[in-house]
Amino acid sequence: MNTVIEAKNLTKTYGKKATAFTALKDINLKIYEGESVAIVGKSGSGKSTLMHLLALLDTPTKGTVLVDGKDSTKLSTRDLNKLRNERFGFVFQQFFMNTKDTVLENVLLPLKIARKSRKERKVLANSALKIVDLDSKARNKATDLSGGQKQRVCIARAIVNNPKIIFADEPTGNLDSATGDKITDLLFDLNENQGVTLIIVTHDEDLAKLCNRIIRISDGKIISDQTVRKDSKAKASARHEAEAARVKKANEKKGGRK
Amino acid sequence: MKLTDIIATANHNLFRSKTRSILTIVAIFIGSFTIIMSNAINSGVNDYIDKQVESAGGDGYLEMMPTAIAENAMSAISGNGAVEYKENSVSAADQPYITDEQLAKARTIDGLESIDALHTASVDYIASTQTDKKYKLFNLNLVPRGDIHFDLSAGRKPDPESSAYEIALTEDFVSILGFKDNEDSIGKTITLAVPNTIDCYTAATHSECQRLVDATVVGVQAPGVLASGGPRANIALFEKVYDLASDGMSKETKNRAYQATAQVDPKRVEEIKAKLKEIGLTAMTIDDQVGMIRTFFDAILVVFNIFGGIALLAAAIGIINTLFMSVQERTREIGLMKAVGMGSGKIFLSFSTEAILLGFWGSVLGIAVSMLIGYGLNALAHATFLAELPTFNIVIFEPANMLVIILIIMIIAFIAGTAPALRAAKKNPIDALRYE
Ligand SMILES: Nc1ncnc2c1ncn2[C@@H]1O[C@H](COP(=O)(O)OP(=O)(O)OP(=O)(O)O)[C@@H](O)[C@H]1O
Ligand SMILES: [Mg+2]
Repeated sequence: MNTVIEAKNLTKTYGKKATAFTALKDINLKIYEGESVAIVGKSGSGKSTLMHLLALLDTPTKGTVLVDGKDSTKLSTRDLNKLRNERFGFVFQQFFMNTKDTVLENVLLPLKIARKSRKERKVLANSALKIVDLDSKARNKATDLSGGQKQRVCIARAIVNNPKIIFADEPTGNLDSATGDKITDLLFDLNENQGVTLIIVTHDEDLAKLCNRIIRISDGKIISDQTVRKDSKAKASARHEAEAARVKKANEKKGGRK
Repeated sequence: MKLTDIIATANHNLFRSKTRSILTIVAIFIGSFTIIMSNAINSGVNDYIDKQVESAGGDGYLEMMPTAIAENAMSAISGNGAVEYKENSVSAADQPYITDEQLAKARTIDGLESIDALHTASVDYIASTQTDKKYKLFNLNLVPRGDIHFDLSAGRKPDPESSAYEIALTEDFVSILGFKDNEDSIGKTITLAVPNTIDCYTAATHSECQRLVDATVVGVQAPGVLASGGPRANIALFEKVYDLASDGMSKETKNRAYQATAQVDPKRVEEIKAKLKEIGLTAMTIDDQVGMIRTFFDAILVVFNIFGGIALLAAAIGIINTLFMSVQERTREIGLMKAVGMGSGKIFLSFSTEAILLGFWGSVLGIAVSMLIGYGLNALAHATFLAELPTFNIVIFEPANMLVIILIIMIIAFIAGTAPALRAAKKNPIDALRYE
C-alpha cells in the first residue's frame, strides 16, 4: 500500500523557555492510502496538534512530515498552499463558516482559492452539496441552518475540491448522536467508495471503533497503534451494528428520562 | 484566487458589515466632495476667465507703469511687504509717474510699438439729460489701440483713432442714467465733470472748479471681467479729461504720464517685459491682469483642498479602524482561508482591496453628489443671476481631474489599509483557528 503521509520524529514545543510545553514528543507514523485512522486520547494529549502537523497547517519544532514521500519542509509556501488546497479537505470541531454568506458561497471557497471558473465552482459546489443532501439549501444564509446541517456544509466544503485526504477534528463533537451518525456515514462513505483517506481526531470511542486503525496518544506520545479491520464489507456491517447499538442506547436514555 | 474574485469578494465582505462600511464611506465622501466641488468651481472660474481673456484678444497689448507703483500695488494686494531694495530704487512717492527718459528708452526697445503715454485724471460724476441725478464715476478706463475685443451688449467699441469724444458705458450706468435700454443709450450724449487741479486749490466750492465735457455713447459693455473696470473712453476723450484737469499746470508736470500702453509681438512679451523692467517700468498683459483674479481663486482652492485633505486624513483613520475591526472579527475566516490554501499575499491583497474599495466608493459618491449639486447650481445660476452670462458655468467637472482625485483617494485608502491587511496576512492559520 502507498504511504500518503509519513511523520518522522515529530516534536512540537509551544512557547519558550519557562513556559515551554512539549505537546508532541518524537512521533513516528505512516498513514497509508485509503485508510481510516482515528487519533484518540484525553483532552490535551496532543491530538489536534498532531493532526495540524500532519495536515501541514503548522510546522513541527523537530522532525518532518512527508507527503507522498516528499519532504514538506522542502516545499515552497506556494506549493504547500496548493497541496493543502488540492489534496486535503478539512472538517473542524467548530463550523468555521461565514455565517452571513450563503451555503453555496461557503462551500465553494476552496474552489475560489483554486482559481476555478465561476461555472465550474457552481457545478462542483452543487454536487458536493448533493452528496451531503443539502442541495436544496444552497441559496440559504449559513446562519439559518441547524448545527447538523452546518457540519454537513463543512463536509461539503471539505470534499468540494475532490481531496485525497480528509482531516476531521472532532467532526461530531458538537452534534447529537443521530446527527453525528449522519456525518459519520458521509465520511465513511467517502472512505469506502471514493478511496479517500480519513484522519479523524476524536475522543469518542464509538466513532474510533468505526475506523480501521486507532492511534492512541497520551501526553504527546503514541501509546498504541492498532489496525483493526481491512475488509470493507466487515467495516460497513460493524458500523451499522455500532450505530444500531447507539440508537438503542439513546432510546433507552430517552425512555429512562420519561 | 483570481483578481476579479478578490475584488468581488472584497466588495461583498465590505457590505457584510453595512453600517460600519457606509459610515467610513461617508467620511471619505465628505473629503472627496469638498475637494471635487472646490476643484470644479475653480475650473469653472478659470474657464470663464480664459474665455474672457480669449474674447478680449489683444495678445500683444501691454500696460506699463512705474515699477515703484506696481510694487506698491502688489504689496497692498498680496499683503507681502517684503520687497528687496536695489541701489537707486525710487519710492512710489518720489516717482509716481513715467519719466520722459523712460519713455524715450522704451521707444528704442525692438518689438515695442505704438506707445501711448496715458495721463489719468479723476472724474467727479457722470450725468445725462434724461435724469437730474448725477452719479459718481470712480474709474474711467481707456479703449487702447490694437485688436482688443470687448463684449458689447449694444453699439460698437469706442474708436481709438477717432477725434470725437466716444464712450462705452457699462450696463449698470445705462439704467441709472435714465436710458430705456442698452440700444436706447446708443448715440445719446452724457456729460463728465472733471475737477481742475489748479482751480480747486482756490475755488470756494468744489463745483466751481469742475469743468464739463460731453461725450457720445457708442456702445454698452456686456458684463464680464473686463467690464468691471467701468465705462471706457476712446483716446480722444481720455486725453480731453486730462486736459481739463491739468489746464493751468506747468508744461512739465502736465506731461507726466502715470501709465502707458503699447503693442508688442505676442511671442516676445516676456523678453520685452524684462527689458522694460530694466528701465524701471512694470508691464502687464491682459492675461497678467486677469491673472490676479486667478491667483485669488487659486488661493481659495488651496484652502478648500486643505479642508478636504484634513477630512480625508480623518477618513483614512476611519479606514484603518474599520479594517482592524474587520480583521479581528474575521480571524477565523482568515485562518480557514489560509488552511484551505490561500497565500498570505492574497490575504493582504483582499484586505487592501477592501480599503481601496472604501476609497473608491467614497470618491465615486463624492463625484456623484458633486455633479448633482454642481449641475443643479449651474442650471439655477443660468436661470437667475447668471442669465446674462450664458457662457459661464459655475462648476465644470473635468474628467481628468475627477480621475486623478479618485486615484489619489484610492492610494490614500490603500496606504491606510496596509497595516490591517498586514496583520491579516501575518496570521497563522492554526492560531487563527484556535482563536476564540
Ligand atoms: N498555541 C499553543 N500554545 C501553548 N500551548 C498549546 C498551544 N496549543 C496547544 N497547546 C497545548 O498543547 C497541548 C495539546 O493540545 P491539543 O490541542 O493538541 O490537545 P487535544 O488533544 O486536541 O485536546 P482536546 O481533546 O481538548 O482538543 C495542550 O496541553 C495545550 O494546552
Ligand atoms: Mg483538539
